[in-house]
Amino acid sequence: MYGLVIATRPSRASLNESVAKAVLLSACIVVVAAMGALLFYLAIEGTRLIFADHINPFVFLFHTTFDPDSREPGAFVFIAGSIFVTLFAICVGGPFGVAVGIFFSELAPPRVSALIKPAIEVLVGIPSVVYGWLGLTLLAPLVRTYLGSQTGFGLLTAGVVLSVMILPTVISLSEDALAAVQTPLKEGSMALGATRWQTIYRVILPAARSGLTVAVILGIARAIGEALAVQMVIGNSAVLPRGLLNPTATLTTEIVTDMGSAQPGTILQHALFSMAFLLLLIAMALIVFVRVALRRQV
Amino acid sequence: MTAAAHPARFRTSQSIAAQRRFADRLATVILWGCALAIVVLLAFFVGYILYLGLPTISWHFLTAPPSEVEAGGGIGPEIFNSFYILILTLIFTVPTAMAAGIFLQEYARPGVFTTTVQFCAESLATIPSIVMGLFGLIVFVSLLRWHFSAIGGALTLTILNLPALMRVTQEALSSVPNAFREGSMALGATRWQTIVRVVLPSAIPPLTTGVILIAGRIFGETAALIYTAGVSVSPGKSAFDWGLFHPAETLSVHLWYTHSEGLIPDGAQVGNGTALVLLVVVLLFNFSARILGRWLSRRLTGA
Amino acid sequence: MISASPTERTSQSSKLRVEDLNVYYGDFHAIKHANLVVPENIVTALIGPSGCGKSTFIRALNRMHDLTPGVRVEGTVVLDETNIYEADLDPVTLRHRIGMVFQRPNPFPKSIYENVVYGPKIHGLRSRKSLLEIAERSLRNAALWDEVKDRLHQSALGLSGGQQQRLCIARVLAVEPEVILMDEPASALDPIATSKIEDLIGELKKTYTVVIVTHSMQQAARISDYTAFFLLGDLVEVGKTSDIFTKPKDKRTEDYITGRYG
Repeated sequence: MYGLVIATRPSRASLNESVAKAVLLSACIVVVAAMGALLFYLAIEGTRLIFADHINPFVFLFHTTFDPDSREPGAFVFIAGSIFVTLFAICVGGPFGVAVGIFFSELAPPRVSALIKPAIEVLVGIPSVVYGWLGLTLLAPLVRTYLGSQTGFGLLTAGVVLSVMILPTVISLSEDALAAVQTPLKEGSMALGATRWQTIYRVILPAARSGLTVAVILGIARAIGEALAVQMVIGNSAVLPRGLLNPTATLTTEIVTDMGSAQPGTILQHALFSMAFLLLLIAMALIVFVRVALRRQV
Repeated sequence: MTAAAHPARFRTSQSIAAQRRFADRLATVILWGCALAIVVLLAFFVGYILYLGLPTISWHFLTAPPSEVEAGGGIGPEIFNSFYILILTLIFTVPTAMAAGIFLQEYARPGVFTTTVQFCAESLATIPSIVMGLFGLIVFVSLLRWHFSAIGGALTLTILNLPALMRVTQEALSSVPNAFREGSMALGATRWQTIVRVVLPSAIPPLTTGVILIAGRIFGETAALIYTAGVSVSPGKSAFDWGLFHPAETLSVHLWYTHSEGLIPDGAQVGNGTALVLLVVVLLFNFSARILGRWLSRRLTGA
Repeated sequence: MISASPTERTSQSSKLRVEDLNVYYGDFHAIKHANLVVPENIVTALIGPSGCGKSTFIRALNRMHDLTPGVRVEGTVVLDETNIYEADLDPVTLRHRIGMVFQRPNPFPKSIYENVVYGPKIHGLRSRKSLLEIAERSLRNAALWDEVKDRLHQSALGLSGGQQQRLCIARVLAVEPEVILMDEPASALDPIATSKIEDLIGELKKTYTVVIVTHSMQQAARISDYTAFFLLGDLVEVGKTSDIFTKPKDKRTEDYITGRYG
């Protein structure tokens, strides 16, 4: 009897094993399929502008007039707008985020970390519409009053809101990158009589370069993809901004603004899908950059 | 004597030493300042939202249906819809993401398949949520003809949040020491038995914390829902609309909608109140994640 | 506890003097009331079983413990005439005078040249000409010049372990310290690389005062003039190396020398 029990157990266990493995594997396939479907459908809808409406992609990418009704869906203003706000956010939020990352990995006493880290998690959790609302009710009036902008909406307001929104991404990734620099390197530098700042600046930051690059790239990804917070404060006018205080629009804000009123099958709707497809390609390109940066590290 | 033995020795001049010390202190002050600025910023945000929103909050506001044109509408159905879509999303996301995470962490060997899955997950994690919303619009709203629906919104959010939860799962599993696995396998347990009986139980605290934090993010998600779950709620007296295929505007979508498309005269007050409710719920998620995670790990390791 | 002072020999002047040094890791008393005099231009070896505190001791000599939270150091360490633990003393300037070589080679992920001139640069030396001179002199003194002179601007991480360690020594020589502390500098190296490092130490003592931690008694016997024996946080005995190995005064030293401790 006993011998039989022992003998039957492995076969049942190994059956369970293969069933379990198949179920787990299929979950991975769901992930791949989701990405595949996303790429497929957005590629189809995103290229109708070219293949169904016979619009020259050059017009879409480089024309500054967005007038789909007269067959001129030039998205250059939105592309430029996306690039401007993203650059602004990364120039302001990037260094600030890296500085806080350095603080956590090199300076902060454990107790202070334990106090500040939860604050950063809350910043991650605050919904983007609430950031937009803060920009709308707090920042825009300030810009209006003190900087003499007419509405308070524009590149500057959107850029500042985005700078805050990318902070958590940049902070946590740069902290990880800096913490991965090994103690012996730091000690080697300190033992030669370097100050803490010299050690950070000359040894730790260069050694963490690829990880910091990743932090910045993913910060860019976060900024370029953000829609609502930006849409609520950028002013949404399809003109190239002449200055930081001028309203403009980005790829994401244009989709949000016009998708609701776009009739299926129109050039407007197709152009909006093309913008979404463009954003998808940008996101994937950024992921490829991340992979390249990480490979260089090894 | 020393000097004679080492004629070449150079020593830092006083002024350079002072410069270096100054640079070091300055950097220290700036770095501390940046970190404290974050805390001040957050405290200010929370305080400001409370200040704006508190006057709006009332039992009526929290339970009444929204109004399209007149003042005095509430956000009852929106609160329900936010939680409804959150729960639907978690029902789809948690098992799928955990299964995929377990496979990648415990079974997968480096190769084309693993790389493909990782790459797809990373791409999904980076795709803007508005793009994901348009994907939901194409597939769930148009192709499947579900129109704007709670389930379409939830499925869109599922795809959006799969990668984050996979990551949480993988990190939770990788925090379990290998010795546990070896100990179990050495007793003749299969890999699956080891995972279920040894690995998963010790990964529960970080998993719980991670799931709750992601739940907070799902709760606040907006861009992916506007064109999938819609910007309206079912007409009717009840705030509780369980219809999977009914349009289901959430709190965060409502906040955006009142601002940009809404016609109500008291849009600012409604927006302030909605922002406050959103923030409070997100803070609750954050605190409970922290407390529950700590409690679980104490119970699992202490007792 | 016993303070055998090597300064009885009048021809040697003392470079470092450790008086009643205590190191604590939290509540753990890792070094107990240690006294030691390190003579100038001499190699002093610190030996003892692993965990005896010899590394903890050597890291107290250039205030490396300052960098680790939770470590407390009490007592005095006098370099020439100054107590290095004096409140207003700048540890940064101190580490310029007392260099350190670590157990595992830790070259920076920069070029060989940049590694060597790192110290002079952070101490404010700008002139390219003097930096080049210093780089060449330090690499020559570290017996590495001939192996690397054609690839000074390639990454230091491409060197072998033994070369990396000599580069780390060159890096220390480049700031022209007075004392060089070495924490088991050869423990991660193969025998050939080890013997090169040992030869180098013999050369270095002509110009520098060297304190070296080693887990190998043979190495201590080969390269050092004085030896201090540590056990469980106590500095048990110190004396001329030949005396320690042939006629130790303390029973515990004898037991260790003859192999009765791990």
